[in-house]
Amino acid sequence: MVDLEEKVQDEDTQRGKYMTFKSGNEYYGIGINYVNEIIGIQKITSVPETEDYIKGLINLRGKIVPVIDVRLRFRQEPIEYTDRTCIIVIDVKNIVVGLIVQTIAEVVSIDDSEISPPPMIGGASNNKYVYGIGKAANGVKLLLDPDKLINDKDVSAFEQMTEQ
Amino acid sequence: MAEEFNTEGMLDMFLFESGQLLEKLESIVLDNKDADGFDEAAINEIFRIMHTIKGSSGIMMYTNISTISHKLEDIFYFLRESQPEHVPHEELTGYILDVSDFIQGELQKIQDGEEPDGDEKDLVGQLEAFLKKIKGNGGTVQKHEEPEEKEKAYIPAQQYYIPPVATENSRFYRIRITYEPGTEMSNIRAYTAVYSLKEIAEDLLYTPDDIITNENSGDVILAEGFLMYVQAQATKEDILKLIDTSSCVNNIDIQECSAEEFLVGFEPSQAEGTTEEKGKETGNSEGGIIIEAAEEGSSAAGKHSEDPKPGDYVIKSKEPGKPKKMAKEQNQAAKQSFISVNVEKMDLLMDLIGELVIAEAVVLQNPDLKVPGLDLTNFQKAAAQLSKTTTELQDAIMAMRMMPLTNTFQKMNRIVFDASRKLGKDIDLEVVGENTEVDKNIIEHISDPLMHLIRNSVDHGIETREERQQTDKPQRGKITLEAKNEGGKVWIIVKDDGKGLNKHKIYEKACQNGIADRSMEAYTDREIYSFITLPGFSTKEKVTELSGRGVGMDVVVKNIQAIGGSLDIESEEGKGSTMTLKIPLTLAIIDGIILGSAGSTFVVETGAVKEFVRVTEDMMVYEPNGDEYIMIRGTCFPVVRLNRHFHLQGGGESVEDGIMAVLEHEEKQVCVFVDELVGEQEIVVKPIPSYIKKVKGISGCTQLGDGSIALILDTGGLV
Repeated sequence: MVDLEEKVQDEDTQRGKYMTFKSGNEYYGIGINYVNEIIGIQKITSVPETEDYIKGLINLRGKIVPVIDVRLRFRQEPIEYTDRTCIIVIDVKNIVVGLIVQTIAEVVSIDDSEISPPPMIGGASNNKYVYGIGKAANGVKLLLDPDKLINDKDVSAFEQMTEQ
Repeated sequence: MAEEFNTEGMLDMFLFESGQLLEKLESIVLDNKDADGFDEAAINEIFRIMHTIKGSSGIMMYTNISTISHKLEDIFYFLRESQPEHVPHEELTGYILDVSDFIQGELQKIQDGEEPDGDEKDLVGQLEAFLKKIKGNGGTVQKHEEPEEKEKAYIPAQQYYIPPVATENSRFYRIRITYEPGTEMSNIRAYTAVYSLKEIAEDLLYTPDDIITNENSGDVILAEGFLMYVQAQATKEDILKLIDTSSCVNNIDIQECSAEEFLVGFEPSQAEGTTEEKGKETGNSEGGIIIEAAEEGSSAAGKHSEDPKPGDYVIKSKEPGKPKKMAKEQNQAAKQSFISVNVEKMDLLMDLIGELVIAEAVVLQNPDLKVPGLDLTNFQKAAAQLSKTTTELQDAIMAMRMMPLTNTFQKMNRIVFDASRKLGKDIDLEVVGENTEVDKNIIEHISDPLMHLIRNSVDHGIETREERQQTDKPQRGKITLEAKNEGGKVWIIVKDDGKGLNKHKIYEKACQNGIADRSMEAYTDREIYSFITLPGFSTKEKVTELSGRGVGMDVVVKNIQAIGGSLDIESEEGKGSTMTLKIPLTLAIIDGIILGSAGSTFVVETGAVKEFVRVTEDMMVYEPNGDEYIMIRGTCFPVVRLNRHFHLQGGGESVEDGIMAVLEHEEKQVCVFVDELVGEQEIVVKPIPSYIKKVKGISGCTQLGDGSIALILDTGGLV
């Protein structure tokens, strides 16, 4: 019972909060309940013959975690990793993945009423990862759907392949 | 709450301990299964095990376990004390295993939170009958001991009697007490004398030695007197004072004697001839002499049971020339030094150590240290020490999760034994590579499938004695159970020399069941054999107790697949079958060689590497289509350049800049070209996260000592 209450409370406190990061000139947000932790950039072991956005594997305290470069995922120009580059470790349905982002911004609260669906004009291909546009106090954040971000169609396609 | 007796922890402890004891019991029994009888060490060990189980189950109020272990303890008490000859060993072995099974079953019930309600009465009855039988077999000498056997059994005789070492001040006395004729209960009086001397005696022997338990000994004492040998730091007068002289004692004769005489005890012939020899033996085995002398006495002077005193117990010390048994005992001692730890705690520890390694790197490569002109000599020394310790720590935790297959294989021994006995087949089980280490989780999963395979081999594979006689096979069937690391997997091979699989029968059956829809020629042998792994398939016409219901093989395959393994079946009709379980080495520790290519680190299993060769350009052979070969000492190998194979950026182009590793996989060889050889390390294999698609030629990844990740090459994927 106590656990349950706590959990409900936890979810309540996490509700409407988004971890935001900068990639290119845009700010993106990701639901804070997906975020496990944020770590600095560290040595990445690349895995051959994978998609270019999958940068490889990192060792997170003995756990092997794959990392993907968000910029490459969005088909943006790659940039060099610096001290400001961070890895956001997210957990989506028990798949733990690290997202390499240019700069971590802040945690913002965005009310559900402040979120509007993305405009469907212009055929921006990376729109499929953005499920909403949130208006926060200091600007507009593109809210990402982490599920789509990591479990894209082509991902599941080759997952099926490997299963066979 | 607080006053509630905490049985939780005790229960865990009890289950764990009893489980271990039973395992040990089984291993002792099976080690001795082909012998004519148990040796002394085994008897003592079994006695001790049953005694412990009896005690602890008694405390836990599991009366049926307690009762049954008590009965078995009785039997072994008798065996130990009386050393009867003609014990039907096979029958006894059966009973021990029955008891072990019974207790194991009850423990399982307790573990599942049920009441241990098994009915022990049948088995207890059988054990009682058996005890009576061996007592009868023991010959006339043992007969008079029977009445008090029951009483003796309650004596908690777990202490070994080790004669104290004689000091310089020790003096030895021979005491003869004679009682007035007609004295009643002279044996009790004699015992009173023994009892009173116990306070000062360093060592004490007396005859007749069964005064407490044998009422007839009183007559002997009256006729011949009561004879004692005492080793004590006391004078004659002290002893005289202590022995009760008040009632019925006719005469007390105390004589000082030599240590040799004392050691020889009551056997006159020994005293004359072999005193010197005995003395010599005292030097190397303190414990042995008295008892050996006593044993001599038992053959010469009738029944001379080892020890009548409650609480004391005399054991014949190990004779020289039994080094093998000694070694075995040491082995057992080593086994006992295990503790059980919650796996979660281990995982936590592993994570923490991982973090420690990273923290270490952060400290040692801290940019603050790069101030010019800083004297870091002492820092570097301390840092080296820290690195060494953390590396060792990491190695230790990595090795901790691994367990040898020894226990699992031992269980199989039992299964072969049971099954072969039930079927009347003589089968030897040969175990190879039982020390191969596998992650604990995997061990838990392979036990059942392996059991099925072994049972199948025993039941279907190995022919009956008569059938074997008709062919030119040796009469004893043979099953080989082998484990090894091969090609990045652990292979567990069950091989029998039985009749093998009948392709036609399998095909026919498959047709009947609608599994096969093509002509027989359209299937390869392997495909036909794989039919038997499908649900509901069994070629065995009649269902036996052991197998034949056709639920075996598909369950085996399902279980193996659940942990990502596979089952290969090979068979030759008339020669036998080979079933190979290929278990992934998730977390299996392998010895690896670390290679560097184009800035990436790879690990290859040491066993797969034949050699490393520095090559020159003139050894290369280039095909127009881009294939490359290399001639090494007259043999031609295909060349795989790791950087090109995995499309890595950079890496040496000239073969003279790097090194060739000759890898072998299932008889096939390939030369892998890498830039450098980094080192060798024991590595824990981890799977590549499923998020990343499987890459051919890479079987997993591992964490190196510095916390970085290296990819493990799958030799099979490269050749």
